Amino acid sequence: MRYVGARIPSLIHRQLAAGRGQYVADIYLDGMLHLAVSRSPYAHARIVRIDTTAARREPGVVDVVTGEELREKTRPIPQVFDPQSMGAKAVDTYALAAERVRYAGEGIAAVIAEDKYAACRAAERIEVEYEELPVVVDPVQAMAAGAQLLEPSWGDNVLLAQKFNAGNVDAAFQEADGRLSGELRTQRYTAAPLEPRGYVAASDPFTGELTFWASTQSPHPLRVFLAETLGLPEASIRVIQPRVGGAFGEKIPMFQEEPLVAYLASKHGRPVKWIEERSENLLAGGHAREMFLTYEVAYKTDGRILGLRARVVADVGAPSALCGWAMSYVTAYCIPTVYKIPNCHVELFSVVTNKCPWNAYRGFGKETASFLMDRIIDHVASESGQDRTEVRLRNFIQPHEFPYSQVSGAVIDSGDYPKALRRVLEMIDYQAFPKVQAEARREGRHLGIGFGQELTPEGCSVPNSTLVSGYDAATVRVSPSGTVSVLTGVTSPGTGNETAMAQIAADALGIDIADVRVVQGDTEICPFGLGNYSSRSVIIGGSAVHVAATEIREKMAKVAAKHLEVAPEDIDVRDGRFSLRGAPTRFVSFQKIADLVYRHAYEDAREVEPGLEVTRYFRHPNVYHQPELDGRFSAYPSWPNQAVACIVEVDPDTGVVKILRYCAVHDSGIVVNPLMAEGNLHGGTAQGIGGALFEELVYDEIGQLTTGTFLDYTLPTAVEVPHLEVEHQETPSPFTPLGTKGVGESGVTGPLGAICGAVENAFPELKLRFTAMPLTPQRVWRALRAAGYPGGVS
Amino acid sequence: MKILTQLMVNGQRRRLELDTRAVLANVLRDELRLTGTHVGCGTGSCGACTVFLDGKTVKSCSILAVDVDGCEVTTIEGLAQNRHTLHPIQEAFAAHHGMQCGYCTPGMILAALQLLSENPDPSENEIRHAIAGNLCRCTGYQFIVESIAAAAKALRESRRNGS
Repeated sequence: MRYVGARIPSLIHRQLAAGRGQYVADIYLDGMLHLAVSRSPYAHARIVRIDTTAARREPGVVDVVTGEELREKTRPIPQVFDPQSMGAKAVDTYALAAERVRYAGEGIAAVIAEDKYAACRAAERIEVEYEELPVVVDPVQAMAAGAQLLEPSWGDNVLLAQKFNAGNVDAAFQEADGRLSGELRTQRYTAAPLEPRGYVAASDPFTGELTFWASTQSPHPLRVFLAETLGLPEASIRVIQPRVGGAFGEKIPMFQEEPLVAYLASKHGRPVKWIEERSENLLAGGHAREMFLTYEVAYKTDGRILGLRARVVADVGAPSALCGWAMSYVTAYCIPTVYKIPNCHVELFSVVTNKCPWNAYRGFGKETASFLMDRIIDHVASESGQDRTEVRLRNFIQPHEFPYSQVSGAVIDSGDYPKALRRVLEMIDYQAFPKVQAEARREGRHLGIGFGQELTPEGCSVPNSTLVSGYDAATVRVSPSGTVSVLTGVTSPGTGNETAMAQIAADALGIDIADVRVVQGDTEICPFGLGNYSSRSVIIGGSAVHVAATEIREKMAKVAAKHLEVAPEDIDVRDGRFSLRGAPTRFVSFQKIADLVYRHAYEDAREVEPGLEVTRYFRHPNVYHQPELDGRFSAYPSWPNQAVACIVEVDPDTGVVKILRYCAVHDSGIVVNPLMAEGNLHGGTAQGIGGALFEELVYDEIGQLTTGTFLDYTLPTAVEVPHLEVEHQETPSPFTPLGTKGVGESGVTGPLGAICGAVENAFPELKLRFTAMPLTPQRVWRALRAAGYPGGVS
Repeated sequence: MKILTQLMVNGQRRRLELDTRAVLANVLRDELRLTGTHVGCGTGSCGACTVFLDGKTVKSCSILAVDVDGCEVTTIEGLAQNRHTLHPIQEAFAAHHGMQCGYCTPGMILAALQLLSENPDPSENEIRHAIAGNLCRCTGYQFIVESIAAAAKALRESRRNGS
């Protein structure tokens, strides 16, 4: 049987259903100490004095460390991206803050103790004298002259300013029939994986070997970063990724707690464990998304867009070594997404403030670019009197125009946007909707329909980065008995790509998937690879598995050909047999060839090198790191996309939005496992629904987070997420051996534009235009009253 | 302070000297190493720590262990007949992709068990409301809902066959 394309249930789910998956919190070692972090209550303050005397006196306390000690004994945390290669500023960050705190929740000291109660109690006994500094919480104000500076040496609060240009925008605005402008504020929100972050470190005081278990996405890069930060030889560190309880980008290294745990384990020669509390995760685990966008559009009466000026101001929080700030770059980089706008000017300002630093979150800025374009298209449709779907169809890049070089220099590999949109309109029966809407209105119900057009470039690769590049590795090893081990450099953050790897290997080798075992997430066992992010595991890691397994198959086919006394090119491989093409009864089993290679190296397998083990690296070809003359480069090799249509019902008395139908057509090229791809799309969509309707990290004017638990940072439940209707459209990538494009981040974007547009469409007569997210009942209710919906503001 | 506490956990009597500050979830995990009970929030919001306490689901992160002295607790590890098999609900979750990372799964399965013991043939809407106290960040719930419906069907059929 062929496995690629089949709905194979996960190979590890019975273990997880049994409750026997081992996550980092499940690791218990003899003599293990527990770590608690003391965090700043202030958003911006100078640390005048730290007194650890009382904390040290607490029973069970082994050590109390402050930023001063970490600054002396460790090195700055390496940057994920080389800021200079992207024109950004950077600042040295250590495992704990010293001298100054820049956001509420920043770690200033840490305690290790015999149990977690003692550690937490002692952390509360650390006495800190702070001198408060003025707080910057608004990115636009942070850019104004005279604003308080986060990093005085920078001279301003702008971490990165960037421009992308194409065509002649001024001329386009002169030529146009109509011009409009608008704005969009996206709220700050976060990945919130159900398993918080956590690390366990154990150090052998005699050999100096450090074993580090981490709920991380990238074990090998984390090992590089730990070695650099702690000044240890890389070879003495082993990073192990146990099962990971969701990551969604948030667990891309390296957080301050990672070197902190490792440092203390090395210092004391005893294992140290830190498991993040949810409150810490929401306060200091990495945020995302908060942007202020403005746009001006020039268009023809038929809805064709001639010119666009877009300005992105991103509030990336306090500067850190995390890669999150780059999400704002990606937002600017992706505009105008799936549309062909010949005259375009995009301007980006990534601004630092006294809030939690950004870390990666599924979507990585792409979602905001697509959301902005959905808002722009809906706006143009409304002003030009055209149908919203017609305006989309009129401005799409056409299928024959790929590979298409977008304004930023991004090269979009392939796609068929009109086909996906037309299909989703059929699924939701768009033609019938006006009637449905009118009938509902007669019953006093307000239904609306909206559209989301998602573009989610994947497989990110940037110059001079330890972590972010377009290559990865796989080792395929056939044992003497003919079973297969696949060891990958990519990892699974709980998404199930190990099953996809097994499918790809089983197909390439022509064997039963039950004979394949996949091993991931251990720097001692697996080949060097960059882990999981940017949906790269199947695109890049899966391609590496395919290439390595194919090489093994060709080697085995040579031995089989000799055994069958035929030519190697006449050999077919399937169902665990090497057979003569056209004569399936003339065969030799896969196991027999493995046996010959290992046990008959001087006889039957004399013509091949002994052993059946291959490590291959795959480098995605659709990446261009040689900047063109105008500084543009292409970082994303793969461009999955999705068309979404959804119908909502809005209760005008409460402002509550209910999703009645949600349809999507998704194109991630060839789908390796439709069951898992759909599961992933459902999950992404639920996160997008959370972002559209519920989730918001709210800071007050003095930089205090007011939504620090799941009681006030509300994730959607099974009741708010509707039944999702998802179809696949397969436009293969021309650049990967299997035509795969990646699906990991897909789904999160579509709901934003689709729901927003649908809520507005539920009251066509009011001409609503939402400019701030999320669409909470309060925000919808107020917008309705402001637009003149009867009922007034009571 | 420590208090002697007795619990019946997965059918086994346990006598434990417990810190009065310890919540049930931590006792199950740290003392008994029943690590299938996961902690996702510590505020009773996410449901990853769901266990059965005297036959009803509770969020074990929000219950002091010394307060449930004498009670009967069933965790995910106590669902199947032995270490090598799974309960039909667990089998349904594995077969229908009712999970991704597996972190919410034990709590989700116990919530499903509570539902199916009260309502053997629930509608989609009833299933969705029954798991509304359990958050999942990976799946968007759809395949969880399908898994529970499939488990309900399997359990009804096995009951009909008298097995």
